[in-house]
Amino acid sequence: MSTGEALARAAQAAQVEIPQEARDRARELGWEDGLIELALAKGHSLQVIWQALRGGVDGKRAKEFLQGGQAAIPRDLSWMHVPTEWGIRARPKDPAMGLTIADLMIGTYGDVPDIWTNRSEIARGSYPNPVVEDMGYTIFEKALVWADCCIPLYEEAIRDRWVSATDLNWNSLEPLPHDIERAVCQFMTEHSERAYVAGALWSGWLPEISYGFIELKLFLSTVIYDLARHSEAFRKRALANGGGLGLQAPTDFSRVAREARSFPELAAILFVQDSMLYTLFSRGDEFAQNQLERDLYRLVARDRKRMLDYHIERLKHMLFKLPDRRDEQNLYFNKAESRMGKEWLDPAVSEPLAILLGGGVDNIARGREKLRELRKAQVDNYLEHLRQATFIRKHINGRLEQAAQA
Amino acid sequence: MAANPATESSLDLSWLDLYEDATSAEPGKKGLTLKEINLGRYADTARGAGDMTYRMRGAIPRPGAQRFGPNYQSKADVWAENCLMLYEEATQRQWSSARDIPWDTLEPLPDELERAMCQLATMLTEVEFIAGDVPGQWMPFVSAQDFEAGLFLMTQIMDEARHTDVFRKRALANGGGLLAQGAGLGLRTLIEARDFTEMSVLMHVQAEGFVQSMFRMGELIGQTEADKRIFRMSAQDESRHLAFGVMHLKYVLDTEPERREEIHHYLDKAEGDAAGGGSGDVTFPPVFEALCILLGGGVDKFDEGLQKFLLLRKRQINEYVHRLTVAGLGDRRQRLGPLMAQFLDPA
Repeated sequence: MSTGEALARAAQAAQVEIPQEARDRARELGWEDGLIELALAKGHSLQVIWQALRGGVDGKRAKEFLQGGQAAIPRDLSWMHVPTEWGIRARPKDPAMGLTIADLMIGTYGDVPDIWTNRSEIARGSYPNPVVEDMGYTIFEKALVWADCCIPLYEEAIRDRWVSATDLNWNSLEPLPHDIERAVCQFMTEHSERAYVAGALWSGWLPEISYGFIELKLFLSTVIYDLARHSEAFRKRALANGGGLGLQAPTDFSRVAREARSFPELAAILFVQDSMLYTLFSRGDEFAQNQLERDLYRLVARDRKRMLDYHIERLKHMLFKLPDRRDEQNLYFNKAESRMGKEWLDPAVSEPLAILLGGGVDNIARGREKLRELRKAQVDNYLEHLRQATFIRKHINGRLEQAAQA
Repeated sequence: MAANPATESSLDLSWLDLYEDATSAEPGKKGLTLKEINLGRYADTARGAGDMTYRMRGAIPRPGAQRFGPNYQSKADVWAENCLMLYEEATQRQWSSARDIPWDTLEPLPDELERAMCQLATMLTEVEFIAGDVPGQWMPFVSAQDFEAGLFLMTQIMDEARHTDVFRKRALANGGGLLAQGAGLGLRTLIEARDFTEMSVLMHVQAEGFVQSMFRMGELIGQTEADKRIFRMSAQDESRHLAFGVMHLKYVLDTEPERREEIHHYLDKAEGDAAGGGSGDVTFPPVFEALCILLGGGVDKFDEGLQKFLLLRKRQINEYVHRLTVAGLGDRRQRLGPLMAQFLDPA
């Protein structure tokens, strides 16, 4: 007995319940009453009958088939001939990188529209179904989210992936003086939380962005994944060397990011943090206490650089396309700088860094001096990153300025 | 008398000695994983009440910390006992669609087979796109008291991005292109979910389960070594998502058995809607026809393909019910929608 026969007989034997949806569809297609039961009695499985109904087989064709004629399963295969661009043969431009999403930006598949109009989850370049439900996306304007660099950055993020469990030499850790270890742990506690919050916030915006900007969404997925890894790597360091988790991070900055009412606002706020953190971690050698921490900060800085590259290009692109929104950005930067300034003055934020930079509580004066230099570099670099995005910030928020000099 | 640096330099240092216990997690065979740091007052078993901030589990609460809006306060709402292991496995098993797929093994296929593969890839890139959005939608509501569940979801977002991209690449790599958009694939039910457990049972257990059963028949569906590798690698990722969903459901049913009927309601809806195919419905005509052509080996072998498609559907349904049984929802067998029940093997 063939598999089909066995399945058909099993269906019969089970005295299949015919779903109301099937009866409704059959009525729409003009199937006579009792035709579904007849098909079942002839050994056709409910699934096959359902496929015929979904495929639009009308009552006349169904009846002819059951009286011993043609195929019931429609094979119009119309999807084979939809007018999409055909004959695409993407090839790797750089064999070392393999077949990248940049290699797919060919023909009409490479057109990223300024305005995406389809409200469904349709893949860009496929043939739209005329009747589909609205999937609830809210971001259809390229200028709000797009940066060309997201295309190469996506593949670079995958190439540069690392694993905290095995790429860091945890066995190399050696006991540190109490004040130093506690400072490391407080720093790790803060940054574990900051990374987790940022990952959660970016994640929450993913469902808002339509498929028109798929490459950007792919890149943001790598950002989210990077932030997950940062969060757990910092936590691991806090719990690996005789310390523990300290005081939770300040909530001012993360709250203002959570309050963002639009993607550009979120991006502007996180621009501030991501720029500052890139400078911080790229100078990690200055406050790392051992090789593991140096390696950790270097890897984190490399990931942060990709985020920052995206921020700069997205802002530049948005300001070019939507120049009337330039001044508005000052509102977001000001708000973010203010909260950041407040947090920089928080003892649980500034003191651990000063202790690590100085080499202990006893050298706190030296540590504070170095921290002032570091804060100045963070602010200078931040302003430079804004300049690269064609944004001149004439006056940074006074609270941040004050905190940088404290 | 020793100098008091805190006094002399206006230091606060109130953060310095907030705890007395010293923690020294040691790496195990797989390095320093989340399992090794899940100890003492930092362990998930020591989870305290949430506070609607993003305070990481075990960190000392900050006086005056601001709330971030509602997030899940109960561990059962988001937890799965395997999420620590699954997170680490995900980080170890990340792969690259650019370099880990032997794209150079692609060879020109008969037009009908290439079109069928491209139609399937078009549908899958669409499905995987939603599968990344859905966990993203829930991330802001996962408390940092259960951060491992959140970390796992972030790896899933990455996995789904890779799947979205690999199927798009496949459609555009062998002389084809994207074809007809899917519709009625049952994906709206995933994004419509108003509760994490509802989302998880529909996406992780049902939709990804169906996709997983299909990927595991990739040796039959795939026409080239590259195709088969894509299905194998993607199936590996789907296994993790599925495992999370099954264990989350189990955790809910073990700790909050009163939710059983509520969960049945979600499944009633998903099995009844989406044309009865469930979330990630492969009975959508273009997908169904493409699969029959691929499984049969051509349009002229459509009927052979149909028989294999029915086997695929049978496999999908029986594995789905088995997974629900493992999670403790074995009574689903009696309530399965009729279009699925027809394939169910006797208990």
